[in-house]
Amino acid sequence: MSFLLACPNCGERSVYEFRSGGEFRQRPPASVSSHEWARYLYLRQNEAGETTEWWYHQLGCRSWFLAVRDTRTNLVKETYEHD
Amino acid sequence: MSTTRLPPHPAHVINHEQTLTFSFAGERIQARAGDTIASALYAAGRRTFSRSFKYHRPRGLLCGAGQCPNCLMNVDGTPSVRACTEPVRQGMRVRPQNAWPSLKHDLLSIIDRFDWLLPIGFYYKTFIRPRFFWPLAEKFLRRAAGLGELNTQAEPKGGYDHEYRHTDVTVVGGGPAGLTAAYEAARLGCQVTLIDDQPELGGHLRFQTGTYANIGEQSGLTGFALARSLRERVTAQPNIDVLSSATVFGGYEGGLLGVMQAKRLIHLRTQRVIIATGSHEYPAVFANNDLPGVMLGSGVRRLLYLYGVQPGTRAVVVCHDDTGWRLADELLNAGIRVAAVVDSRYRLPDAPDSGEQLQRSGVEVLTSYAIQAARGTNHVEGALVVPLDAQRNPFPHASRFIPCDLICLSTDRTPTAALVAQSGGEFGYDETLGQTVPQQLPPQVFCAGDVTGIHHLPATLVQGRLAGLRAAHSLRASETSASSHIQTLQHECETLEQEYRQHYEPYPQLSHAWTGKKQFVCVCEDITHKDLAQGVAEGFDEVETLKRYSTFSMGPCQGRMCAASSARICARYAGAELATRTTTARPPVTPVPLGVLAGRKHQPEKHTPLHQRHIALGAEMMLLGSWKRPYAYTTPGEEHKAVRERVGLIDVSTLGKLEVKGKDAARLLDKVYTHTFSTLRVGRIRYGVMCDDSGIIIDDGTVSRLADDHFFLTTTTGNVEFVEQWLKWWTAGTDLCAHVTNMTGGLAAMNIAGPQARQVFSQLTDTDLSSEAFPYMACRRATVAGAPALLLRIGFVGETGWEIHVPAECGEQVWDAIMAAGAGFQMVPFGVGAQRILRLEKKHVIVGQDTDALSNPLEADLEWVVKFNKDDFIGKRGLQSIQERGPRHKLVGFALRDSGMAEGGQAVVVNGQPAGRVASAAFSPTAGKCVGLAWVPVEVAGGTHPFQIRINGTDAQADIIDDAFYDPQGERLRS
Repeated sequence: MSFLLACPNCGERSVYEFRSGGEFRQRPPASVSSHEWARYLYLRQNEAGETTEWWYHQLGCRSWFLAVRDTRTNLVKETYEHD
Repeated sequence: MSTTRLPPHPAHVINHEQTLTFSFAGERIQARAGDTIASALYAAGRRTFSRSFKYHRPRGLLCGAGQCPNCLMNVDGTPSVRACTEPVRQGMRVRPQNAWPSLKHDLLSIIDRFDWLLPIGFYYKTFIRPRFFWPLAEKFLRRAAGLGELNTQAEPKGGYDHEYRHTDVTVVGGGPAGLTAAYEAARLGCQVTLIDDQPELGGHLRFQTGTYANIGEQSGLTGFALARSLRERVTAQPNIDVLSSATVFGGYEGGLLGVMQAKRLIHLRTQRVIIATGSHEYPAVFANNDLPGVMLGSGVRRLLYLYGVQPGTRAVVVCHDDTGWRLADELLNAGIRVAAVVDSRYRLPDAPDSGEQLQRSGVEVLTSYAIQAARGTNHVEGALVVPLDAQRNPFPHASRFIPCDLICLSTDRTPTAALVAQSGGEFGYDETLGQTVPQQLPPQVFCAGDVTGIHHLPATLVQGRLAGLRAAHSLRASETSASSHIQTLQHECETLEQEYRQHYEPYPQLSHAWTGKKQFVCVCEDITHKDLAQGVAEGFDEVETLKRYSTFSMGPCQGRMCAASSARICARYAGAELATRTTTARPPVTPVPLGVLAGRKHQPEKHTPLHQRHIALGAEMMLLGSWKRPYAYTTPGEEHKAVRERVGLIDVSTLGKLEVKGKDAARLLDKVYTHTFSTLRVGRIRYGVMCDDSGIIIDDGTVSRLADDHFFLTTTTGNVEFVEQWLKWWTAGTDLCAHVTNMTGGLAAMNIAGPQARQVFSQLTDTDLSSEAFPYMACRRATVAGAPALLLRIGFVGETGWEIHVPAECGEQVWDAIMAAGAGFQMVPFGVGAQRILRLEKKHVIVGQDTDALSNPLEADLEWVVKFNKDDFIGKRGLQSIQERGPRHKLVGFALRDSGMAEGGQAVVVNGQPAGRVASAAFSPTAGKCVGLAWVPVEVAGGTHPFQIRINGTDAQADIIDDAFYDPQGERLRS
């Protein structure tokens, strides 16, 4: 894995500067069923294709942003800050 | 069989005047400056360079270019060095490997006679029964087969380094195509990096002494003169970086190339890559084709024109195109007799360039002939050649024997294209060329030269220009008006390629699996044609499975010498449609020493701002995580006593320190901690635990409220980076207005603690330190010894005390002032050793030491910090489930009943069965015995059930202690 990621603050950098935060997903409200909650905790889409995911620029500006990455090719389509 | 040096020639890279000596297997060998080990040994008359992997057959120089496994040697203790590319250094010690007692007489060569014992896949078929035999056989095999011995006692040599580079265009390969491409791209304004694995640019032209036609203005130049001219043009270009003697061993995502240059690993990021890695020859498959004296044509040329070594006295050249004729010419020019040129072509083109001289010199030219076998014991003594019919089939009864001592093979070549595949290119089998060539390339990758399968200099030069132009154009289209130029070159290129293809006739594949002597396909692993045929017959009829079964292409050359032949042989026995398949060439393309990947030996360690004070005090330092901390200044026991009875000072700068500011700071903390912080009053401190959403403890620490919208957090040492991103993670994408700043490196922190801490500390600050004005769990800003400070009244060690945070640059000044103020009270500095005992006596948990990735606060004796009655927080849902389920085990305090010392990790034993583990333990001077924290089953946690701790196999009785061992009511803390 050696692809490049464009941090919205710092620009294009090696992926080694970043920490992956996994798939973007909404935290469900506390009222959901145990089944739903377990899904949130333990299951991931693991898409073979475009996935929106969190990345943290650990060795740079130390902020979180979202990236749309194709998990088959590691091509990053876009990156943006969550508003 | 002594060989003489040839007279000096302008193409030579050796200095005929300067001699060096080195030792080979204990003998002194003379070399000339510029020689490789192999060229010097060859000049000294050596012909056997190694013994083969399985059969211990003698092997001589084959490729002379670092491609094959035949000259691997031990050089100054480093095994498997390629002697044909390793320059001679004065006094170096070279040893052969895999041969005993010597290269000339290897006793294990007897294996060659017992080959019927070692059929393909023999290790799957034999050594199965009797079972006791296997360990013995393994020992023997390990000695008999191998790639040299690693000296495990050797000191690491060091000197490895990593470098990071960026460039617009990278050209891999410094031959005619690469030189032309680099110049073209640079001329158009690109920053170019040109990487070549040879010490000097020029590629195969460096050892070509014939002249070339149809190459424009430079027609008529000899190869080495053309190389010089192309080289000078490139080195004069300021925006070309040349990396010589450097190998690209892998192409990775994001335009990353792994480049090895001696002991340096270069991470090269490139926008465009032009692959001009050329092609290499590989041996045709015929009987005894591994005999020393059988050499690739390019290897012979290198000996002749780089090192001035006479490769033999009487040569047979086997070829299928003009390359062989040129070689014969060059041999004649060097004064070497050429017995015959064996050309497989049925019909020769009108006028092969060199025909005339060959005729004049009386060289026999055999057209429509091929080689059937090499003959000789230990070295070539002659070649058996055979005529071919129009269908390229041999007439075996008409074969002829030609005596010679050198067989030059210019028979087969294959693109050196591993990098093309790794860069995302696709391959196809080209029927006309009989080669697997790159066909589909991603937009950022270009190919030029022999790597395309076209071995024709006029085409190569045009391909190079075209690739350079295209790469530059794709990067800065607006700056070049190159489109029409590209079209013209494209057209020119196609015409030249067309011409080449029309006259191209691949060398015929003659060998038959079941006839004659061994016909080697893979020289690394000693795999013969017969082995592969057998493998296919056994059902491994796909090239990838056949590879795994037979191990062809898995040796040091990584398939360079065998991938093409074996794919062809596999296809022949399994069905022709598979001819297009070759095995995958993954990185690294060439062997890369682990030291190069590891790089410089770094062990970074962090020092606190007070580090020099600890060193001056003679502290025993220890590495905790990445921090260097004092373990003890005297002994943990003495320091413990001082803190309990008088006063002590400890450096706690390693604590993680975060500031959280913003109007929603309190809301953020309510969300991530299990405790409530919005209700915390300004100037007060509260202990907090952080969980993840499944309720697992991830950190703990103190939270001080400095203002309504301003908090100061401490975290576990070493965990602050995690907590920082964790807080930011739960802020990102929400409406929370809160900012997190990591202050860890900016602040020095120390903790003064003990019954007399107040008397000492009050000398240094005007702040009222009385418990009425500054109670336990309060925080104040103050001036301490002239430095601005944040004071936290907390008590990790269980005594009256203050945690003092000051700017890092004031750390030493404050430390010195406190030490001076404490002198009259016999205050001592204390280290981690004493702190461990002190906190255990108070049953204070250390997250990460007493807890692990399965610990939750309900079971870790921290129920009191979980506020289920507040709104949703991270971990609430998980903790609720745990609460409903009920705890399964508990973290409890324990004391050993008798003398004895427990330690972390030992088993808790209930009814004779392991049922838990000790988290931490230490001898408590206060209790007079060993105390600690342990995870025990919840039934035991009630305190009525007896349990033991298994210490070195003996079970020691332990008792649960509910309250802290020391000052259970916390009176001393609050006083």
